[in-house]
Amino acid sequence: MADNGRKAETVTLTIDGREVTVPKGTSLLHAAESVGTEVPHYCYHPGLTAPAQCRICLVEVEGAPKLQPSCVTMAADGQVVHTDSPAAKRMRQGVLEFYLVNHPLDCPICDMSGECKLQDYVFDEGRERGRGREPKRVFGRDDFGGDVLYYGDRCVMCTRCVRFMDEVARDSRLTVVERGSRAVIDTFFDRGLEGASFAGNVVDICPVGALVSKDFLHKARAWDLDHTPSICPNCSHGCNIELHTRDNLVQRLKPRENQEVNGHWMCDYGRANYEWLNRPGRLEAPATGRGSDRRTADWKEALELLFGRLAAAEGDVALVGSARCSNEALAGLGALGDEMRGRTAQRVFRAPRAADEVPLPGFPLLVRRRDLVPNAHGAGLLGFQRCGDDGGEGGLDEVAAHGEVIIVLGDDLADQDGDFGANASLFVYLGTFESAAAGNADFVLPITTFAEEDGSFVNAQERVQRFQQGLRPPESARPAWLVLGALVAALRGEKTPDSAPEAFARLVAAHPAFEGLSWEAVGDAGVALGAEAAHG
Amino acid sequence: MSEVRFRNPGWAGNTGEFDLNEADVRGTGYVGERALDGGHPSVSPSLPYMFVKKDPDAPLFEGPYRERFDKIRSRYPTARAALLPALNLAQELRGHISPETMDEVAGLLGLSDAYVRGVATFYTMYNKRPVGRFLIQVCTNISCNLCGADEVLAAFLEHTGTELGQTSSDGNFTVVEAECLAACGFPTCVQINSRYFEDVSADDVPAVLDRLKRELNRSF
Repeated sequence: MADNGRKAETVTLTIDGREVTVPKGTSLLHAAESVGTEVPHYCYHPGLTAPAQCRICLVEVEGAPKLQPSCVTMAADGQVVHTDSPAAKRMRQGVLEFYLVNHPLDCPICDMSGECKLQDYVFDEGRERGRGREPKRVFGRDDFGGDVLYYGDRCVMCTRCVRFMDEVARDSRLTVVERGSRAVIDTFFDRGLEGASFAGNVVDICPVGALVSKDFLHKARAWDLDHTPSICPNCSHGCNIELHTRDNLVQRLKPRENQEVNGHWMCDYGRANYEWLNRPGRLEAPATGRGSDRRTADWKEALELLFGRLAAAEGDVALVGSARCSNEALAGLGALGDEMRGRTAQRVFRAPRAADEVPLPGFPLLVRRRDLVPNAHGAGLLGFQRCGDDGGEGGLDEVAAHGEVIIVLGDDLADQDGDFGANASLFVYLGTFESAAAGNADFVLPITTFAEEDGSFVNAQERVQRFQQGLRPPESARPAWLVLGALVAALRGEKTPDSAPEAFARLVAAHPAFEGLSWEAVGDAGVALGAEAAHG
Repeated sequence: MSEVRFRNPGWAGNTGEFDLNEADVRGTGYVGERALDGGHPSVSPSLPYMFVKKDPDAPLFEGPYRERFDKIRSRYPTARAALLPALNLAQELRGHISPETMDEVAGLLGLSDAYVRGVATFYTMYNKRPVGRFLIQVCTNISCNLCGADEVLAAFLEHTGTELGQTSSDGNFTVVEAECLAACGFPTCVQINSRYFEDVSADDVPAVLDRLKRELNRSF
């Protein structure tokens, strides 16, 4: 054993006739997963303890007197496991029949339909027809408060939600009330889930349609949704998420597992704030000219005009970025400032800050950060100074009165008035919405939101994380990295970056903080800055 | 004290050989109200009638009840483990476990209110609603059922003038069905407060109720 010290101990067993070697302490459920066999399970969730109470993951282990729950039975040397033996299948069919005794079978109106484990398992292995003749007991639904609605009739009593609130949120507001066929999940009478900061996760982990989101209620069918890996834009923790989209609208945000960042979870604040991505009335086309001279132009014309003005501009440059923009966009803005003849006098961004952080006690890595924007750290690393107050307002008085070049990226200047940039010799506004303060802009260029482009953010852990395009942008909007990259490339006399990875590579070359990173190494899981990134 | 005639008075009864009444047999200490301190542990669950003065507004917990609560808490390593006896004590004092009582017990033990609700609702012997001074639990499980439990239950409902689970208008009686009371050798078994009445037939019911009414009028 002495020479075994460095090597993890393993055990070798046989699952469904295939030999598997797994680390000691692996459950049979995970061992089976490693050879591509999904053992059905409800109560087991990788982020929670396993009570082994749903009885549907029972498998046959040769030599054991009865079927064993695979979620808590550890793999052992020489075990011979059958997940699909007649005994195991018969048992699963029996358990499923019990689950359906009082289940309303209201899949056609159930939000979970299409991603429901009860539906999947019954379809795979259940009886073709129920044998029950008795009337089903009916609970109806119960509003738990917050965003959570409970349908007692659909519940399989796996208690994942109860254990999430106990173990992860450490706020034991849910419990099993009553027993037997009368058992339901409930809160303490009228004290619902209001005020809980992470309760929305119980909807994600519910394997059936018992806990559903009120926000998402009857909004879309699961099979109509496109899933795009992304990063939560609502605080600087950067939880890994999926954008669920349909009809080019974000329908909901769901957490995507990343044990280094958010585990399986995300906060309710992040989950709830996505409507701004769907806001209509976006800037549709590039425009040039101030006030009454304003006229729309096509991109080629606008950029050629702008390039001429930029190349000729002499004065100091004021850059206003936004921590909602990607690293690539901010680096492009910084590079544009560097390429201009004048010195960069201001390089600022504004971001709203919450009064305090909201940690998730049972998974301390995950904290709803104070910065309510995704890329405050990236903006800092790329040389932008924070200005303004905690509401994300003010702080632009100097810029507003700046007499030379002003370039605004992604900040909609909502708190600024029509005098903003009135004295500027050149005022460029790259944004998503029309703004009163952009009235003096010589150029108004429509850019995409993070959901409409590929790119990366740096989160509060100094971790670079990529997001992907999930929405089709409005007609003429272009990613900011492309617009700014084209201008920088023109000033430098080089080729325009033709993709986000290319823009990222140029950023890495220019900024030592990002040294050694590559688009591929960042991957879907992200990479911590300063870590040995090169090995990826 | 004259003896009401019914087949099983719940103690050995006056067989005619001795001139004894119940107090003589059980001892005066065991007849009457439940002792505030809970009595000696060996007999406290079997005190006759458990006819306690229930006060739904009684504070949790004061005086001797506080001492008993502290003792309960000291017996268990965790607050969760002490929850069942703490709820028992609260029910003994208040007669039922209301949402407010659950909340207060949760506060006393440092448990979440939802958890206490889950436990209190899991166990059927905690009354979640107010019950009469006498809670009459008629076993309708298999042995008793074969021996006429349904008739006994119907008789109790008829003579108390209540519906199943409802409390009579004078606040004295609540009749409920119970699952097996582990007295299958003596069907039908009826538990009234903490005391068993065994071999009860429908004909016995008026006499049982008479006796309970006399208990109400007794002064201790």
